[in-house]
Amino acid sequence: MESALAPLDCLLPAAALRACADGGANRLYHVTEGSQDSFLPDYISGDFDSIQPEVKEYYKVKGCELIETMDQDLTDFTKCLQILQKKIEKKGLQVDVIVTLGGLEGRFDHIMASVNTLFHATKIMPLPVIVIQECSLIYLLQPGKHKLHVDTGLEGDWCGLIPVGNPCESVTTTGLKWNLTNQMLKFGTLVSTSNTYDNSGIVTIETDKPLLWTMSIKI
Amino acid sequence: MEQVDVIVTLGGLEGRFDHIMASVNTLFHATKIMPLPVIVIQECSLIYLLQPGKHKLHVDTGLEGDWCGLIPVGNPCESVTTTGLKWNLTNQMLKFGTLVSTSNTYDNSGIVTIETDKPLLWTMSIKI
Repeated sequence: MESALAPLDCLLPAAALRACADGGANRLYHVTEGSQDSFLPDYISGDFDSIQPEVKEYYKVKGCELIETMDQDLTDFTKCLQILQKKIEKKGLQVDVIVTLGGLEGRFDHIMASVNTLFHATKIMPLPVIVIQECSLIYLLQPGKHKLHVDTGLEGDWCGLIPVGNPCESVTTTGLKWNLTNQMLKFGTLVSTSNTYDNSGIVTIETDKPLLWTMSIKI
Repeated sequence: MEQVDVIVTLGGLEGRFDHIMASVNTLFHATKIMPLPVIVIQECSLIYLLQPGKHKLHVDTGLEGDWCGLIPVGNPCESVTTTGLKWNLTNQMLKFGTLVSTSNTYDNSGIVTIETDKPLLWTMSIKI
């Protein structure tokens, strides 16, 4: 699946809706250089303090909707999800998952803001939201039981469970090389990183509090 | 006996997401390992774990970049109060899903004070 445009080239054609959050449009424009026409977003939202003027103009001319959002208490990414949810409802779209490309590298405060948006997302939309950059993927598990199929062939060789916003008093897993049984996960006590899989092809995770799942993927 | 003021760690804040989180976790462990402050720097990002209590940061060295933040990694902070930031906090709760201070910056005082009831991760940009 290797290509200079991975994973855009396989995700975008299948997407029901495509959106950029402000400066994300710069990245899209430059990564798709020479074939921007084939990778147009449906809309670009944000306070437009990061998008380059020529990029904004290009997508505007191509018919992409530009939606200005001035709320300074929320990030452009969070506001973009709010708009996405409204459009999904309005158009009655069948959507399985929101895939976010980017947000896990560069400025450390931006990486943490991406994680924070996953917490906000649970109040914004009922759909799962995942964030992917390079070979890293993150997904916020809500309290309860989860079953992940990890035998698609797209899994890399590491995974982890990160109690980012709060300690988790009791976490139980199966399918990992180092499983947990009613274990507390807490920064300064135990955080599961550099974990990997057993050969079962399925990982189950039961948690009493929100818990961030992270894994490597092959794109 | 050497006098040491600070441990500076280069690297650990980019690449594999689990490794980035492991770097942050090490800052929590570090408080039990050594009495010295440990900071982590990569590219233009710096992180430092503030223990409960009052802190005063001199941000007029000329090496500061233009953003900073306060991240309640690992636990919510019930009450955080700051001065010296563009968007200050007064007895504010910081918690993922409620409020996390990112893309903050400085006022012109050159000093930032932070009072927190729980461990709180300070992050800022630096010019290297």
